[in-house]
Amino acid sequence: MIGEVLQILVNGLLAGAQLAVPAIGFTTIYAVLRFPNFALAGHATIGAYAGVLANVAWGWPVGAALLAAFVVAGLVGVASDTLVLKRLRPSGSLTTAIGAAALGIVLENIIRFIFGNDPLGFDVPVLRDWRVSLGTAGGLRIGPQQVQAAAASIIVMAVLFAFLSFTSSGRMMRAVADNPTLAALKGIDADSVARRANFVAMGLAGFGGMLIGLDTSVDPLVGARVVLPVFAAAVLGGLGSIPGAVAGAFLIGIGEEMSTLVLDPSYRTAVGFVAILLVLTLRPRGLLGERAL
Amino acid sequence: MTVLLDISGVVAGYGAADEILKGVDLQVAEGELLAIIGPNGAGKSTLLKAVAGLLRLKSGGMRFEGEAIDTLPPRERARRGVALVLQEANVFPTMTVWENLEIGGFIERRGIRGRIDGLLARFPMLAEKRRHAARTLSGGQRQILAMAMALMVQPKLLLLDEPSAGLSPKAAEALFDSIAAIHAEGTTIAMVEQNALEALAIADRAAVLVDGRTALVGDAKTLAADPNVRRMFLGG
Repeated sequence: MIGEVLQILVNGLLAGAQLAVPAIGFTTIYAVLRFPNFALAGHATIGAYAGVLANVAWGWPVGAALLAAFVVAGLVGVASDTLVLKRLRPSGSLTTAIGAAALGIVLENIIRFIFGNDPLGFDVPVLRDWRVSLGTAGGLRIGPQQVQAAAASIIVMAVLFAFLSFTSSGRMMRAVADNPTLAALKGIDADSVARRANFVAMGLAGFGGMLIGLDTSVDPLVGARVVLPVFAAAVLGGLGSIPGAVAGAFLIGIGEEMSTLVLDPSYRTAVGFVAILLVLTLRPRGLLGERAL
Repeated sequence: MTVLLDISGVVAGYGAADEILKGVDLQVAEGELLAIIGPNGAGKSTLLKAVAGLLRLKSGGMRFEGEAIDTLPPRERARRGVALVLQEANVFPTMTVWENLEIGGFIERRGIRGRIDGLLARFPMLAEKRRHAARTLSGGQRQILAMAMALMVQPKLLLLDEPSAGLSPKAAEALFDSIAAIHAEGTTIAMVEQNALEALAIADRAAVLVDGRTALVGDAKTLAADPNVRRMFLGG
């Protein structure tokens, strides 16, 4: 039993690390632009397909393909915000959120139109799971690719932290997230910050979409499947808080894996819904809420 | 006197049907400290926000250094030298004191380190707390930080909205000393203040706003000595 629980904990941590990247993107947009951008699903899908193209069609190594996923999804994020969501923002956050959900569906179907519905895979070697003996408690099986994906997530989180802490663009984003009125009074251009936030956030969504594709396969629904746990992680941690999104992602990852102890695995997505319900009922600002970026 | 800011017939409010300012006429001369006083709800803070660009005018106009600024966004007014220190939410709470000062100097990034060092030398409390998040500062310390952020760009016109609100008498006294020192260095200041007697004590001129209109404008010492003004606006 202990071995089983430890296995679930390890799986949950690895899944949480993957989930953290798009969750950071989601919470970044919320912090800077004050609306839940459900179009993240479409951008995660676009990132996954950009990664497949780079890796399979052009033979790029996985690291370079991840960079391509980030850049392509980031650029599409800037374009889609400029052309669609920016025009909706004056109508309020609810209107913009609904528009974003619709935009996500449009992006998903553009991908479906171009690439079809068949799942695609990456050109990566299949590696055998690592086995760790726990003596009488049994053993752990750890997938090397999941560990690599978790490591990539941790690296991208560290780079993002450095970007927000040590660069002028990062500090501008934090200032707007903290106090948009004061940021305007200090001469910061909100449109410029919105473009940078969209590039970073949707780039992270694309990066996360490719990580998930590496773990499973890539199809037009890869983003739609992840958007609920991403939203749940951001709400759980406190919308607008990056440390909160990371904490929320790990908790959702572990919670989803733990749920398989008592539920059929096909019900694991219910964990996200339950988390959202509990947080909004008991602590609407989330675990680490009211801490901008 | 050289007019730095010329406000004429300004009508503005927070909503379509809402008019807080109902026709304000006011001039701020270069180099002066103008105190703006009046009863609660007279529109004093609203006037400063309108000057900084946070509110759109319904009618009237504003000229800064002779140029119309009433259609410019806040960042353009900031670039021209207008700096507003808000009464509340006037710092970036999760950012450190140093980062707040850096953002304060955002529009003029050349020589920013030297200017931060200068302000840290001027306000030693900020130097001690430079690595602390602004949300950990006391009310008086936040006001000093907010003013220092405004000074990062060496503004031509410093707008102060109720700088002593919520401060202890000792902290308020220290703050007024700092404001007087900043003014003595040549910075033009327009200050809204509930603590009218203290404001008039350091001001050159004063304007009294009543119900969104300019009721009186004159020499600060003369207004402070006027029995009618004292009875109506200064608590006897």
